[in-house]
Amino acid sequence: MSFTTRRNSARPTAPVEVTRLLPTWILAIVLIVLGLLAAVPLVYIVLASLNSDLGVARGEFWPSDFTFDNYIDVWSSVGLASGIANSLIVAGSVAVLSSAIALGTAYALVRFPFRGRLTALRSLVGFQSIPGTLLLLPIFVLFASIGSVIGVQIIGTLWGLIITYLTFALPFSTWIMVTYLRGLPISLEEAARIDGASHFGVLWRIVLPLSWPGLIVSTFFAFLLGWNDVMFASVMTTPDTRTVAVALQIFGAAQEGGGIPLYGQMMASSLICAVPVVLLFLIFQRYLVSGLTSGSVK
Amino acid sequence: MTMTELAKANPAELEVVSAVREGDPARRRRRSDRPLWMLGPGGLLIGFVIVVPLALGVYLSFLDLDQYTLRDWLSAPFVGLANYIEAVTQTNLLGAIWVSVSYSILATALTVPLGVAAAIATQNAFRGRTAMRSLFLIPYIIPAFVVGTVFRTVLAPEGVLNSAFGMQGTLWLNGPNSYWALIMVQVWSAWPFVYLLTLAGLQSVDHEVHEASALDGAGWWRKLTHVIFPYLRGPLALAVVIATLHHLNNFTLPFVLFGIPAPSPVEVLPILTYVTGFQSLRFGLSAAMAIFSLILVLIPLLVYLRAVRLDSGTDKGEQR
Repeated sequence: MSFTTRRNSARPTAPVEVTRLLPTWILAIVLIVLGLLAAVPLVYIVLASLNSDLGVARGEFWPSDFTFDNYIDVWSSVGLASGIANSLIVAGSVAVLSSAIALGTAYALVRFPFRGRLTALRSLVGFQSIPGTLLLLPIFVLFASIGSVIGVQIIGTLWGLIITYLTFALPFSTWIMVTYLRGLPISLEEAARIDGASHFGVLWRIVLPLSWPGLIVSTFFAFLLGWNDVMFASVMTTPDTRTVAVALQIFGAAQEGGGIPLYGQMMASSLICAVPVVLLFLIFQRYLVSGLTSGSVK
Repeated sequence: MTMTELAKANPAELEVVSAVREGDPARRRRRSDRPLWMLGPGGLLIGFVIVVPLALGVYLSFLDLDQYTLRDWLSAPFVGLANYIEAVTQTNLLGAIWVSVSYSILATALTVPLGVAAAIATQNAFRGRTAMRSLFLIPYIIPAFVVGTVFRTVLAPEGVLNSAFGMQGTLWLNGPNSYWALIMVQVWSAWPFVYLLTLAGLQSVDHEVHEASALDGAGWWRKLTHVIFPYLRGPLALAVVIATLHHLNNFTLPFVLFGIPAPSPVEVLPILTYVTGFQSLRFGLSAAMAIFSLILVLIPLLVYLRAVRLDSGTDKGEQR
């Protein structure tokens, strides 16, 4: 056939890797362009955090003089430490709470058919897409009213914010656990039931130990959602309970004597907020990537 | 009772047998022994933090609610559709919807070629591939408020972008360029999501397919467009829908990048809703705007719901 002869004459001796998708030169171009696209802003954050406010304001990429002062000053100037502590408490509690609740809910949803189950699953997907602006006002009004009825301040407290964050964390975690538990074989659970274990016993002793990969995905991303939120936190916190995402916005307004924003410290605190999340992600990357794609594809 | 005995048995006896089988533990468990109480905690909480606020949000949109009536919202005047009419006729609602839709679609469209190229380039093994794959995911995992803060500095009039390209003084955070600034930053932080879903799609291409196209002597471009891309259609369609949903709902990035009130080219619907409520204190009007954003999100959401696998395989009759 003409095809074969042409192929043989074009590449007479080269060992052809059949799965190969791109010629080497295109591969190199794509990797360099995309690598730079991703890496240059990251490198800039690091460099700018080691630069003076003036240096950043002048638009230097490479600092004219390196300084670590930003990393020292951020702890005193805008209350970054208390912001981080608040964010850790809130996002951490939300992540653990929503994942723990999600496990039970998802187990029942996956294993036990009941009337309205499909509606429940559909709602789980739908609830994740509800615009936050739609829930912000009603939750604010609801918490203010409940607070004044029972005589306890809810708005402005950390636990109030934790409950608020369940609005997006719970449907997300439950959906992640639904997609994960679907992949577990049912036979172990059935064997345990025949041996006389209660449903809760099965959940606790059989399902939970097998669910760690799913729970890691759910906990990490629920944490990330809480850590990321600016909108709810900007309305539902006081200066004492401010999360770090809101505290960082204060930097934009804070200025030194000369009227230049505290750019260097802004970059340093940005880095401080991003590094733990990125490190955690890289450590658990294997679970997180597959969890994220299966959560949205399947 | 053996099978032969069963066959010979008369109908009355058969009924007894089937009654006994109904009592079989495996069967009984299906019917009445379902631990649906496990749905309780999650269900109740979702009801309290989502369903109740959702219903309340609809109700509030019919009220004349401002900073004075908010405290006592139960007795705030009911104004019917007045907030909706005011939102359409007296505010920038339609403009904001247009900005939201066009920015979301444009940003999503620009992430697709980047994500696909990255996935295809990292599909074959090479030295340093693991590091490259990790690098590609970092922009996606960096918190949006950090991305916004950093690019706010990068895009400042005397910032590093302008000084690197000799465009000092060009305004990115104000005026007409702000629209493109928002899209650029959104694309930078969102393209790895397309990359991830494309990778999943590439994994579904069997080895035989590669062999077949090598045997046919297909060049790399023909192989990509005719053999590989068809496998990516499904995952990409899903990535586009989900990414569009995220962009439509994105509040953090425009809020951090431009502050409030946002310049009009980037006044997206979430920002307009927030400002109307918590800056102008027109809470009823803001609630009506939020209903519009729900309707807007409903379109990609319905597409998503059709594509996503809902059943668990145990009850096939229930699919869709």
